Amino acid sequence: MPPIRDKFTIHSKAVVCQDVELKGDITIGSGTIVHPKATIFAIAGPIVIGAGCIIEESAIIVNRRKEVMRIGDDNLFEIQCRVESPSVGNCNTVSTRARVHHTVRISSYCVIGAGCLVVPAEDEVLDEFTVVYGPEAARRAWSGRGKVQEADLRRKHAEYLRETLPKFNRVRRGDGHG
Amino acid sequence: MAPSIDYHCPCLASSPAPPPPHLPSSSYSFHPLHELFFCEECDAVRCNRCVSVEVSGYYCPNCLFEVPSASVRAEKNRCARNCFMCPNCRNTLSVVPSDPPDMDDGRGSTAALNAVGEPPFFLYCNHCRWDSAEVDITFEKPTGLAAQLQKHEDSAPDSLEFERLKEHFEPFLRASSSSALAGPTPASHSHHAHVNPITAAASSALARDIPGVAKYAPHPRGRRDKGPRDEMSEYRSRVEVGGTSAMGEADVDFMRRIEEESEVAAVEQRWANSWATSLRTSDLKPLRIPLHSKKSKRCPTCRHILIKPEQKAQSVRFKIKLVAANYLPSMTVALPRPLDIVRRGARPPADDPSGTPGLHAGSTYPFQIALTNPLYDPIQVRLSVQRQIPPAVSAAAAAAATEGGATEKSRRPPFAVSLPSSAFPIAAFAEAWEYEDDEDMFGVDGDEFGLESRDGRETQGKAKSKTVGVLEKRANVTIVGGEVVIGKDARGEVKFNMLVSYTYRSDDALPEDEVRGTPSRTSKAPEMKTFSFSTAVNLGPVVPREENRMDTD
Repeated sequence: MPPIRDKFTIHSKAVVCQDVELKGDITIGSGTIVHPKATIFAIAGPIVIGAGCIIEESAIIVNRRKEVMRIGDDNLFEIQCRVESPSVGNCNTVSTRARVHHTVRISSYCVIGAGCLVVPAEDEVLDEFTVVYGPEAARRAWSGRGKVQEADLRRKHAEYLRETLPKFNRVRRGDGHG
Repeated sequence: MAPSIDYHCPCLASSPAPPPPHLPSSSYSFHPLHELFFCEECDAVRCNRCVSVEVSGYYCPNCLFEVPSASVRAEKNRCARNCFMCPNCRNTLSVVPSDPPDMDDGRGSTAALNAVGEPPFFLYCNHCRWDSAEVDITFEKPTGLAAQLQKHEDSAPDSLEFERLKEHFEPFLRASSSSALAGPTPASHSHHAHVNPITAAASSALARDIPGVAKYAPHPRGRRDKGPRDEMSEYRSRVEVGGTSAMGEADVDFMRRIEEESEVAAVEQRWANSWATSLRTSDLKPLRIPLHSKKSKRCPTCRHILIKPEQKAQSVRFKIKLVAANYLPSMTVALPRPLDIVRRGARPPADDPSGTPGLHAGSTYPFQIALTNPLYDPIQVRLSVQRQIPPAVSAAAAAAATEGGATEKSRRPPFAVSLPSSAFPIAAFAEAWEYEDDEDMFGVDGDEFGLESRDGRETQGKAKSKTVGVLEKRANVTIVGGEVVIGKDARGEVKFNMLVSYTYRSDDALPEDEVRGTPSRTSKAPEMKTFSFSTAVNLGPVVPREENRMDTD
């Protein structure tokens, strides 16, 4: 395997803290927030993160595949979660200590509950509005009622972090858009 | 399992002597210290099995509203405000407004949403994202939800049936309460009286003809309660159930057609419901949260309150708290690992080569008991191994720990326990510890403390090492060492009863207790008082003798 070449493209409006472990070819979109101690690890293929995502402390995002790992907009990756899915849509929530294997593709508006393991042996795509919850990682479909309010809350959350985080953390500037 | 000490509560026993600890039934008389209470009036330990419990208040665990006991029954023991449980995952539901209608999707809209939100409101589970709109429950305003849901609940056939039953029994209940008032004592009336209209009503309901069930044959005693039963009219249910009901067939039909298991509500999901509910997941309704209660406990003999929580639901304090941990020295037992013993200058007679914990048959093990004094005065403690037969055997407690009871007196336990036989002091409890290190106290000579099984020690031939006696004193903790010699063919667990008696300076004029734990009042008012209690010490299971080597050194 060739050595991993680092290439970070961070949008000027994104907030990526200094104390973040980045490896490989990573693109971070506008307004996305990466908390300190998060890890984004593009082992094989590059990782492209969209706009307005929040990646919290100790979250780990790994791309083990050759193709590009695309993460959409307005996703929330909570503390200590680990995501290896080759693609993530928009407005998903991966809760604290949840773990999503590289066999799962996440569409949009999905919620992976706290501590849930989503590790199917075969490739699968989570339908939109799938909720994985509880100790058995039970699944159900969310009706989608309240998604506008949730998106609004996510936006406010990101807005607040954009203001607050740089006050207390060194922020990394990408070499892309400067 | 880690070695443990449980305290004996004599409430269930006819004799004050504790039951032999190796019997499974004796586990009911031994309790961890933190579960026990102490009655100052009776000067005795009380446990949860002997105290009388009364409810001192009801509250909702979610909104912490204190529900007056008068309305608890009317509200059917559930919160009548805005607290609901998710029928799917049992999380607490929250009330949320609907999404604004004119937005295609939330993205790109910069206008802040209305803080109040717009109706209809619905209940929403943050955990599994179930919402009450799925079962067509929505609200016009976000307050008083239980009242808004009341009609749903009251119209349930089971609820109506229950109301009807209550109505039916109302006259009998009223008659019973009035007769109870007229009678000599209500307490004596309620139990065995066949004339009690409630029992009569119940038995007549049971005697009713049920299709498909054999006729209930009244037992001969039934003659006596003939009178009140005749007074009662027969109860007719609203809906005739039993036999071939349409409901059961519908369920069978539904079960035949299911495509996914998630269509069927799990037992846990229907369990919390008051009424029988349908099998479908789609029929699950939000549940009002069951109320919790705060309880106060009284001593069974003197009726004094032992523990009483503060009225406020938010508070976790107690107004009265007479727990045994504030009166009895707390004890922990430990089997030191070889390393600890080496540091103490003693060597275990049989080092386990593999280093695995456990007691091997045919070996001798030291163990340590740490006693902590909760009192503000120093105490003198005396430990003795308790046998089942005569209680005052402190001098001869060398060999046996327990015996299997009166019938098997000859059978000795396969191990012998040695404890320091003389009394030792434990310093007083103080809030702030500013004590000088008593180095000389630390290294008390073993000769000062007579050994209960001297011959057992001498055969081991390690007189220089000290395992039995006071090992350490610091603050209000004293650690004493004991020794257990396990027989060659021992198996099971090393459990023995230990009598602990401690002497303290009494402030009040209570009499001196005899060493048996149940005090008797005398007119003397001595300075020092002795209290005794029994404990069951469990040192853990014996590893049966197979691979472990003989203890010959």
